[in-house]
Amino acid sequence: MQAIEIKQLNKSYRAIKAIENISFSVAEGELFGLVGPDGAGKSTIFNILATLLKPDAGEVSVLGLDLIKDYLKIRRKIGYLPGIFSLYPDLTVEENLRFFAVMYKSSIKENMKLIRPLWDQLSAFKKRPAGKLSGGMKQKLALCCALIHKPELLFLDEPTTGVDPVSRKEFWDILNSIQTQNITVLVSTPYMDEASRCNRIALIQNGGIIKIETPQQIVLDFEGELFSMETSEIFHLLAIMEKCRLNCNYYPYGNHLHIAFYGNKAELLTEFIQFLDEQHIIYKNLEAINPSIEDCFIELINKKAHA
Amino acid sequence: MKELMTILRKEFIHILRDKVSLFLVLAIPIMLTLLFGFTISTELRNAKISVLDLSKDSQSIKLIEKITSSGYFQVISLPESEAAIDFDFKNKNVKIAIIIPTQFEASLTKEKNADIQIINDVSDLNVASILNNYMQAVLYDFIADFNENSSSDAPVEIATKMQYNPEMNSVYMFVPGIITLIMIIVTALMSSITLSREVETGSMRMLLITPVKKIYVVFGKVIPYMILSFISTIIILVISVLVFKMPIKGSLFLLLFLCIVFMFTAASFGLMISALVKTQLEAMMVTMMGLFLPTVLLSGFLFPLDNMPYFFQLLADIFPAKWFIIAIKDVMIKGSGFAELWLYMLILLGMAIVLVTISLTRIDKRR
Repeated sequence: MQAIEIKQLNKSYRAIKAIENISFSVAEGELFGLVGPDGAGKSTIFNILATLLKPDAGEVSVLGLDLIKDYLKIRRKIGYLPGIFSLYPDLTVEENLRFFAVMYKSSIKENMKLIRPLWDQLSAFKKRPAGKLSGGMKQKLALCCALIHKPELLFLDEPTTGVDPVSRKEFWDILNSIQTQNITVLVSTPYMDEASRCNRIALIQNGGIIKIETPQQIVLDFEGELFSMETSEIFHLLAIMEKCRLNCNYYPYGNHLHIAFYGNKAELLTEFIQFLDEQHIIYKNLEAINPSIEDCFIELINKKAHA
Repeated sequence: MKELMTILRKEFIHILRDKVSLFLVLAIPIMLTLLFGFTISTELRNAKISVLDLSKDSQSIKLIEKITSSGYFQVISLPESEAAIDFDFKNKNVKIAIIIPTQFEASLTKEKNADIQIINDVSDLNVASILNNYMQAVLYDFIADFNENSSSDAPVEIATKMQYNPEMNSVYMFVPGIITLIMIIVTALMSSITLSREVETGSMRMLLITPVKKIYVVFGKVIPYMILSFISTIIILVISVLVFKMPIKGSLFLLLFLCIVFMFTAASFGLMISALVKTQLEAMMVTMMGLFLPTVLLSGFLFPLDNMPYFFQLLADIFPAKWFIIAIKDVMIKGSGFAELWLYMLILLGMAIVLVTISLTRIDKRR
């Protein structure tokens, strides 16, 4: 049985199509990532799966239960961490956790084993109001509350947004350990670098899925030859790049410029260097690199736009 | 049940940690009661009067004594001409003047008729009409005394009995009104705000996907404010009885029970509003405009309903305040019992049940 099965899911808000014909399934015990920019429709998918929003069309089953008919049964089996911090800021860490434990007819003691790695870090702050925690601690507490009834399936909507890089890494370590407790995890993130921690990812843009694959395979599927370079004149270069009539795709990547060539790699590279010299662009560290998930995402979007 | 107790506990923590709101909720009733009691009084005492006495005989002097001893008037000027009265109105802050005609005593004894002229400063209509009433009362009183002493037939005799409120105390009017307003503010406003806060911050979604019953969520959030509102009501009643000598003629138990019924209705209005809006600000605006304003204007508390166009009288019927004010006045002032009040309570309860039912279905609606 698949933990989640979605076929041809559609949802509009008035005239705006939030998600369109989305289909995917998540296997039991899988850590599945929805990766895409803000506004791609990730939260809408979560709201539908968490039984808080009704889809316009499509078939959805969650843990083998029908989303529409059996929504109350589904609620007992899922844990949900919403995209915005939704605990009570004036209640302390401990009070929040106790409160949700009772709401789920569970107890902290019962599930201590499951939340232990989180609780060890949180217990130092247990008398602190939840609103006064750091971003990372807030999310750890929210995850704790979502796990307090030992759900079979966990929905995490952008759990690492607004969290510092160190805490983000810790958070993903915890997710991997949760996965070992036979809990299926569906997680979304706008950070492409986190996607490699998932078993499989679905790349989403404008309410549609571009590709579903393992992160390793997505990188292997990259079609172009990717180069990276540094220049202090990056905006000037971007402005004049259209004069460069090579079969390539270019975009700023941090303070670097990434450029993917399609065709004969050596030939294109020579022509590009020539173009840079003609335009008197000073650059350094022009080198071939391995694509990241983000590079793959950009390539896929680009391909879709030209198709 | 454990869930309900936990939600109640959580809500009390919210209330107790928000000291400013808690203080306001408890202080506003005291402030409002004292404010209305001491300032918005329709009684006037020691209004300045000038008396033009053209006869200066024994009866006219008696009349002036009567006016002075009534306590309502303070004779500050005895002008000699009508022009001087005008001067008093303009310069001496006189609110009312009377002219006692020449040969007052003779007219009274022989013709059994005398024309006394009352001049009112109607630049303030309310004050003028109240003082005019007081003056009429004093004059009737004077004539009654005169008839008794002279044992002749009365030229005029009017007897008015002020049933239930013999002293025409304004406190009888405003205490039920204040209790109504406080309950609307504390119960309806606070519960609509607290519920829409959960929706706004997203914690309502967290609650919805837990297996806890929605009715527990709603009652757990509303009951603490009903308790606060009940405390406020008791504070108002204590102040009213101790400071303003408001009577409670009917049973205290019935009065408190009536308040609980109304609190339930007010809370259900708050609940309904929170089910219609998305943010706390909207909840506040809708409660103020949609519930608080009609409560002030259409409850009969400040403006008599009987004088309103028929449409507004019908509109008043759908708001709970009108029914509550009728009932609470009956208990406190007339001393009515359950037999006279059950219908009002039934109306209030009916409103509450309908609204709670609608709201509960709306609150967990997946849109």
